Amino acid sequence: MSTQDKVKINKLPTGVPGLDEIVGGGFPEFSFNIVAGAPGSGKTTLAHQFVFANATPEHPALYFTVLGESAIKMLRYQQQYTFFDPSKLPGSIRFINLSQVVLEKDLGAVLEEITKEVEKASPAVVVVDSFRTMVRRPQGDMDLQSFIQRLALFLASWQATTFLIGEYAEDELRDNPIFTVADGLIWLRQTAERNSIVRKLQIIKLRGQASVPGLHTFRITDAGLQAFSRTFGLTGQRSHLPNERRLSFGVSALDEMLDGGIREGDSVLIAGSSGTGKSVLATQFIAEGIRQAQPGIVAVFEERPQAYAERAASLGLDLDTPQKDGMLEILYLRPLDLSVDETMHSILDAVKKIGAKRLVIDSLAGFEMALSPGFRADFRESLYRMIFALTGIGVTILSTVEVDESFTEFPFSTYSISFLTDDIIRLRYVSIDGQLRKIMVVIKMRGGNHAKDIREYEITSRGVVILGKRLTNYQGLISGIPVHLDRPGEEEDCSQEPGIGSKT
Amino acid sequence: MTNSSEMRDLARRLLTCEADAGETFASTEGAILRVYEKLRLSLDALAGAAAFHSLASRALVLARSETPALRKAQVAANGSLQGLGDSEPYIVADKDRAGEYPAGDGGIVLIACLLGLLFTFLGAALTFSLLRNAWPGADFDERNSGNGRNT
Repeated sequence: MSTQDKVKINKLPTGVPGLDEIVGGGFPEFSFNIVAGAPGSGKTTLAHQFVFANATPEHPALYFTVLGESAIKMLRYQQQYTFFDPSKLPGSIRFINLSQVVLEKDLGAVLEEITKEVEKASPAVVVVDSFRTMVRRPQGDMDLQSFIQRLALFLASWQATTFLIGEYAEDELRDNPIFTVADGLIWLRQTAERNSIVRKLQIIKLRGQASVPGLHTFRITDAGLQAFSRTFGLTGQRSHLPNERRLSFGVSALDEMLDGGIREGDSVLIAGSSGTGKSVLATQFIAEGIRQAQPGIVAVFEERPQAYAERAASLGLDLDTPQKDGMLEILYLRPLDLSVDETMHSILDAVKKIGAKRLVIDSLAGFEMALSPGFRADFRESLYRMIFALTGIGVTILSTVEVDESFTEFPFSTYSISFLTDDIIRLRYVSIDGQLRKIMVVIKMRGGNHAKDIREYEITSRGVVILGKRLTNYQGLISGIPVHLDRPGEEEDCSQEPGIGSKT
Repeated sequence: MTNSSEMRDLARRLLTCEADAGETFASTEGAILRVYEKLRLSLDALAGAAAFHSLASRALVLARSETPALRKAQVAANGSLQGLGDSEPYIVADKDRAGEYPAGDGGIVLIACLLGLLFTFLGAALTFSLLRNAWPGADFDERNSGNGRNT
């Protein structure tokens, strides 16, 4: 059979931002789907979004309400969502209440009523909300499975795309014969984790097309559900090819240490303790990009954009003008109950909007704190997905991370995420000559011949300034308490060392 | 649009529509019952008979507090209105004189209360959509619509 001979399955938009990508382009036309989840998980809202996105006078939708939520209350609340368009009622969308039939008769009568209405209206979309409530009362001859089977057959032949809404707990989803009838099974769940609510959805099955596996986070706002794909909507979009183009930091000595700069599309980690200048270096990196006509994004979690721009201004870096010119966006990501996927969504929107080439995440610790506790457990995995997705489209990412200063260890990060990064620059304090000074070293540069030098630097009104040449006469610099090789056991007099005590 | 005078105006307009559709001279009770039935059928389909029954019962309680003429009226189990009374006088069906009917206040108050509840629960857009569906030829002005608790 050639490709041309195969039946074409049209895909209908879900009406839920982000969900089309997760289900593989949209819900298959004429499919029979079950939306399952606990009360309050967003099932009805999802169905409404689909209905309002697809119903037209020529292709109307029938929305059968059964028991459970009062139809009047449902309409009262649902119309608060921005997608709810009252002008579509009743011409394109008809709500039909079957509660009386369910209360007084049996499933056979319900099926008969649905059949009658469907034959009358010939709808393109049918929703039964909620079919589960029907089975909680004693039934006549027809059991629920038989009801579902006959309803599915009938609605498929009437060319209707159907959604049955049902309250199911997680353990009820396994081995449930009712679900074998369905072409699609969408499971919504919400769980309380510490003080926050985490919402996730899963396409357990969807016949005829490839959905994105796994649990995807979603949020319910005044616009309804918004889903965030685990792949961030970037499947098949990997466009970044390894290249040798180097991006300058705007600090020439550091560029030299990096063999000409950061490789475009790399993920860079700047690790150091508080006050070592991680954010300063990150700001210089983004400002240099703007100077070279490379738009940038700064995602900040610990301070507001205005404060960030003001701090940059104190270093002589103007971030206000590029923001006005559309060359820079400083994203302040609401520090409450975020998921990585939501954060990514905001970042990706900004990347697409201004065509960003450089991204700064300042800092990973702030990022983690902004996440809902439930997502913190998956932080490494989420970071991996995020970095892979963004570098895949050619964005160079610079993340800062605070590490506890230790005088016995030299950790790169507290997250064990160094394997996620191509390049690592470590900043740290060092005790020399009775002063707490700062040193910098490039720990790792994937595919690059970086300098192995340990260099002293200062933070001045011009930002990070690297002093002199590498420090040669010290042992144990990275321990933070070096020993001068010429004066072992003595406190060093560094005034004669290049870079130490003689600023350039 | 849930204050009582606006609701009564709207109720009278619906009565006018029904009167226009019928004879020149129609009993107030007959027109009221037809308006009530159209609302019942529309809401039955949208929200179910039980939902209409509870709304109509609430409307009747609210209306009784305003007019004693409804003391014998009842909402039957199927949602229909019974016992509205034979005392309602005749009205002249003249749409240009809508709002001037001197009698039939009990029924008008009941319809107004029912409309008020619909506006409160469903909002103006959905209620007008429902009314347009029930009275396709009628022209409803939504400019002053709003919603809130029906008092």
